[in-house]
Amino acid sequence: MTIAELVQEAQEANYLEVALSADECLKCNVCNTVCPVARVTDLFPGPKYAGPQAQRFRLATTLPAQSAIAPHDASPDHTVDYCSGCGMCTIACPADVKIAEMNNRARAELKAGHRPKLRDWLLGQTDLVGRLGVIFSPIANWGLHNRLGRWAVELVIGVHRKAPLPNFASSTLRARLKKADVATLARKGDDAATRAAEPPPDRAVVLFHGCAANYYEPHVAMAAIDVLRRNGFETIVPEQVCCGLPLMNNGLYAQARNRAATNIDVLADYARRGYRIVGTSTSCTHTLKAEYREMLDVDDSDATVVAQSTWDICEFLVDLHEQGRLDTGFGRLDERLPYHAPCQLKGHGIGIPAMDLFALVPGLEAIDLDHDCCGVAGTYGLKKEKYDIAMAVGDDLFRKVREADTARAACDSETCRWQIETATKTPTKHPVEILAAAYAAGDLERAKAPIESPAAG
Amino acid sequence: MPTADVVVVGAGLAGLSAGIALADAGARVELVARGHAATHWAPGGLDCAAPPGAATPAAGIDRLAALAGHPYAILGGEVRPGLAFVREVVAAEGLHYRGDLDDPLRSVPTAIGGTRRVGVVPAGQGNALDPWSPGERLVVCGIAGYKDFWPAPIAASLARAGVWVEAGDGGRPSRVEAVSVELPGQAGRRNVNALELGRAFDDPAWRREAFERIARAVESGGRGAGRIAFPAVLGIADHAAVLEDAARILPLALFEVPLVTPSLPGLRLYRALRDAFRRRGGRISIGEPVIRIETSGRRATTVVLSAAVRERRILAGHVILATGGIAGGGLIGRADGRLAEPLLDLAVEAPPVDEWLADDALAPNGHPLERAGIRTDAGLHPLDASGKVAFENVLIVGSLLAGQRYIAERCGDGVAIASARRAAATALAGPKSESATRAASKRPQRAKAGSRS
Repeated sequence: MTIAELVQEAQEANYLEVALSADECLKCNVCNTVCPVARVTDLFPGPKYAGPQAQRFRLATTLPAQSAIAPHDASPDHTVDYCSGCGMCTIACPADVKIAEMNNRARAELKAGHRPKLRDWLLGQTDLVGRLGVIFSPIANWGLHNRLGRWAVELVIGVHRKAPLPNFASSTLRARLKKADVATLARKGDDAATRAAEPPPDRAVVLFHGCAANYYEPHVAMAAIDVLRRNGFETIVPEQVCCGLPLMNNGLYAQARNRAATNIDVLADYARRGYRIVGTSTSCTHTLKAEYREMLDVDDSDATVVAQSTWDICEFLVDLHEQGRLDTGFGRLDERLPYHAPCQLKGHGIGIPAMDLFALVPGLEAIDLDHDCCGVAGTYGLKKEKYDIAMAVGDDLFRKVREADTARAACDSETCRWQIETATKTPTKHPVEILAAAYAAGDLERAKAPIESPAAG
Repeated sequence: MPTADVVVVGAGLAGLSAGIALADAGARVELVARGHAATHWAPGGLDCAAPPGAATPAAGIDRLAALAGHPYAILGGEVRPGLAFVREVVAAEGLHYRGDLDDPLRSVPTAIGGTRRVGVVPAGQGNALDPWSPGERLVVCGIAGYKDFWPAPIAASLARAGVWVEAGDGGRPSRVEAVSVELPGQAGRRNVNALELGRAFDDPAWRREAFERIARAVESGGRGAGRIAFPAVLGIADHAAVLEDAARILPLALFEVPLVTPSLPGLRLYRALRDAFRRRGGRISIGEPVIRIETSGRRATTVVLSAAVRERRILAGHVILATGGIAGGGLIGRADGRLAEPLLDLAVEAPPVDEWLADDALAPNGHPLERAGIRTDAGLHPLDASGKVAFENVLIVGSLLAGQRYIAERCGDGVAIASARRAAATALAGPKSESATRAASKRPQRAKAGSRS
């Protein structure tokens, strides 16, 4: 076998693509300059040490078993558990080392074979927790939003008593959509005739709502459905499960693979028929786009067609605008709006589409806060032992939001919104909610216009 | 597709300087880079020229400009105004420099106990530029537990006269001492690094205590006039205030000695340039490598970036390649013995493959590979193998330019600054591409006005 063939084989195997990228490391420390966790705590030695440097030890145990191409990421110490997985290191690396991916795999390996902590298991089960939480929402919300309850949760489970936990919605998005006739709810067992009656892919998109919009913030999905509808797109909402990211974050890879398989099974059919899959959660859409392949080694043709068809809602709207198809009838929103681009968004590699959209709204002065990470990084900042780190990571961001002193702020990712809102007491909205409000303001202006115009002219 | 008047590829000194100059002139600039780079690896100075024998950077520039094929042969006149521009830009961000092109080149200590000849350095390194008075001592002050700066061997090396290259009168200290100081809260810590120390110095209370300890350590070493050489860890975000405190509290003037990566002086320069660029409306994306540049005839049309899925495409009026030399990935060695420019497959001027492995990387005349790069016309358009302009809206800046020996001649920063200035002027003077002009009418920023008609 030639070296070129070996390299080729390594590139084709996802695991080795991540693992062997350590070989590209120049030891230049650029990753350490951008790591928000190492910035605030000694418990994490920085991405270079936990990643490419420790990878030598992992590779030493991996390579003899190369034929199996099985991850075997024994880490020399446990510090990699303090990596929040924000991905800033991979972004900054000038040598294309997959540092964050390497560390994510190493974290999973650290936990593999151990029974997960109850807390980590529970934080992974966003769909189960969400389903139960919505059913028992009055009592669950009461229990999780009073001091005694949170103290008990911290003591028994290990979720920090001050960590940002959202309110469960009184009913799920799917339940609401059954009542309000604004979207097509699709079921797995739908027959061909029902399928055929779905609006075609040039007039409809498939919504991946994720757990956040289903159990906590149905209004975000409703805003997206409204904005899509104004632009000529119906929404099809197929049955779906959690994308699996919270499971991956907590080292529960087997369960995450199950979720991936279920979602891909449902979504691939739509993708093959030409539908675009649009999501309001930047982390769910990033999981569909990249993490199934990079983290779970799921890269068959179904996974690929799903990944290729997945769009973040703002990315989708900017694309419409670039085709000259976005309804720009936004009304005035005379406000300043501090905006945080979440770290998962940076992983998409799509720029900052929300800022481009905000620029279309008359009167709206959006401020890109230019901060690396809010700290929470999915479920990281909820954990008792990591809460203080997460708050320190986001400290500068919270200060900027407080200093902006505005009625609301905006951010694409749900856990970041909850973190910013809890830390700053500033209501924090999804960009699509802002756009829906701007459309509504436009409706109002147009309704008033006939009355006002005779006086004016 | 989003549109930019100019897409700059590369976020080093050359790319950012060009981006700032263009954004200053009102151009819509997208700066894209695969990661952070050369700024974080370099000492943070603005080295314009220090070839052996030159007394000042200006004399060095003249000497290099007389060499056929050197970038200064076409850019020599741009260094002075380019340097003034960049200094003004970063000064407005709170980052100041000392020294000038007409000041004598001075030998200043390095972190391995050698010296390097410099002209323009960050204010934090500025005190190293002053001539040494008779009897003046140098106190090399290290930090206990910090592994990248060893005061005793550095001092022992600097005590040898031969280390002070081309240092004339007042060129070196009369004696060199070494001290080590334990900084607050650092006892027993492992993995103390420059970043952590830099952040610690940003804390006013911590640094006052630290400087008081440094003052005591310096005084314990001896008496008399002198200067302190200290690792370059004096703050990141609040560097200027740290320098003020150092001047106020310490008994001797202090200068920073740049360290192995990550270089804090370089990081400060990067942040000042990035902030200046964004302040002027420039857009910057890091971490999305350019995977190819599409062309039509002799024009580059679209810069294509990698993304999680699909591709991100930017329609470009001009493309400025600031992708660096071999270290930065602007040039790559192919297995067939060819040195290639990976984005546009431009003609590369390179030594034959058997010279790539020449023994002495730091030879006085430079390594043959240093000179490799892209040959351009005076406007910085790349030339093809026959000497004709390969692409009329592509411009080459920084260490990708052929003919420089940035290690031996210490001209890299000057070439970056001068070429950035020239490229910005060329791009502003040249006609925008038709496609960019056409698409500009519907780009998001402009759509605002017409949206409610």
